[in-house]
Amino acid sequence: MAAQPLLEILGLGKRFATRAGRDPSPWVIQDLSFSVRDGEFLTIIGPSGSGKTTLLNMIAQIDTASGGEIRFQSQAAPISDPKSLNPGLSCKIGYVTQEDNLLPWRTTLQNVLFPLVVQGRLNDETRAHAQMLIRAVGLAGFEDHYPHELSGGMRKRASLIRTLVYDPPVILMDEPFGALDAQTRMQLQEDLLRLWNIGRKTIIFVTHDIAEAIALGDRTLVLTRAPARIAGEHTISIPRPREIRGIMTHPAFAELYQRIRAEVQ
Amino acid sequence: MTSRDSALDLAEPTPVNWRRYAVIAGRIGLAILLILGWKFGAQVAGEVYVADPFLVFGRIVVDTLNGTLIHHTYVTLRLATIGFAIGCFFGVVFPFLLRRMPRLTAAIEPYIMASVGVPKYALVPLFILWFGIDDAPKLWLVGLLVFYPIFIAVFAGIRNVDRRLINMARVAGASEAAISREVIWNSLIPFFFAALKIALPRAVSATIIGEFLVGDAGLGFMIENSRQNFDTTGVFVGIVIATALVLVINAVLTLIDRRVNAWRPTERDMQL
Repeated sequence: MAAQPLLEILGLGKRFATRAGRDPSPWVIQDLSFSVRDGEFLTIIGPSGSGKTTLLNMIAQIDTASGGEIRFQSQAAPISDPKSLNPGLSCKIGYVTQEDNLLPWRTTLQNVLFPLVVQGRLNDETRAHAQMLIRAVGLAGFEDHYPHELSGGMRKRASLIRTLVYDPPVILMDEPFGALDAQTRMQLQEDLLRLWNIGRKTIIFVTHDIAEAIALGDRTLVLTRAPARIAGEHTISIPRPREIRGIMTHPAFAELYQRIRAEVQ
Repeated sequence: MTSRDSALDLAEPTPVNWRRYAVIAGRIGLAILLILGWKFGAQVAGEVYVADPFLVFGRIVVDTLNGTLIHHTYVTLRLATIGFAIGCFFGVVFPFLLRRMPRLTAAIEPYIMASVGVPKYALVPLFILWFGIDDAPKLWLVGLLVFYPIFIAVFAGIRNVDRRLINMARVAGASEAAISREVIWNSLIPFFFAALKIALPRAVSATIIGEFLVGDAGLGFMIENSRQNFDTTGVFVGIVIATALVLVINAVLTLIDRRVNAWRPTERDMQL
């Protein structure tokens, strides 16, 4: 284990601007601290409305923090002033959002290549990498389809590999498989683990599904209701590679599930 | 990948042919009715008030062959095109500049909206006073009349862009210029085309009105000149040609719109 964590969240807090004539708005997140090691798959679980998306938005630098610090490789990121925000921290932090956010006027392939094009890094090598990812998630043959011609699961896959294609060291995922049916969801979880095993990125994966948090993560953080604080931390010792379909029968699973369940209010 | 994952194995819907033919037949029938109505009107009102449609078409053929009609149409089209280009350029560029300056935008917005209310045609005498009797006053009129619908549509379009797409692009490392070009411009294309459908016909009619007032060529001049000579047929020729011009421009625009927006799933019933 590296001595220095890759990403540190120190005393992070967030409250949204008050509207005129109202009481000061409550803290959505207050004094939240945790860290992520290089190559770790961290899952964060919390009840809905516990500020999970807000937390990821702050880490991705598309939203300001009202207090606290975020450090990437021991360097503090400028997160207090909206003008100095650096979304994606110069392509070091990728973000797979809850909605797929594909560009509707671009085909699957163009959407996947989008980060490479705007970063000026599109060449034969990166293009081949993109093609490999497209095949790996089963989108081969759909490169020229527009997003509205794809199913929900395929759109998710496209948005997932759009982030993987430019290889950011940290990837944030905000309930990426939330709106899918159970079968597609399991398929995508397996795809994700397979891709993660190839690349071993650092992943922060937010979900409200306890089983998903256990099945995917090395470690799980449980958040309280707003203002979000850490209610518990669990190391998932189920060995990898994991079989998502059979994970519920693993002896450690039931015990972890019970413990986490007790902490999620 | 299972076939369940694919939303694409729907059967191609078969077009119902007789319905298409019924629409075409209806259109032709309506055209015949209109011309008959026009002829009837000419008969009742007399040729000084309503020109006979067959005389009008005859005049179109004669004037096309001797070149005068082509010359007038060219003069009008040229002015309309230049005026449109100027108005359209500023109508697109201004909102993009204002996007970077939210406080300035907030400050000048009421003034912009007030200036929409100024009757532009009433400014033509001033334009003539300020800019002379060449093309300049007409270009100002056309430019202004094109500028407003495009400016307002692009301005509204920029405000309507999905913030989530912009954030996605920023996180992915896109520069502000790349975001303007890729995300914002593509998002507002439907707004832009809606504005073009107003602005392009306006450019033609504004040019014609400009030519009523100043100039010695163009469809507007031709109409006004015919009126002064009590040549009602000439007036009608001008109107017919101007209408045809707008129809052709709209058809070309619809074609471009369809190509540019080919990715769009709906809108098939929204052609204007």
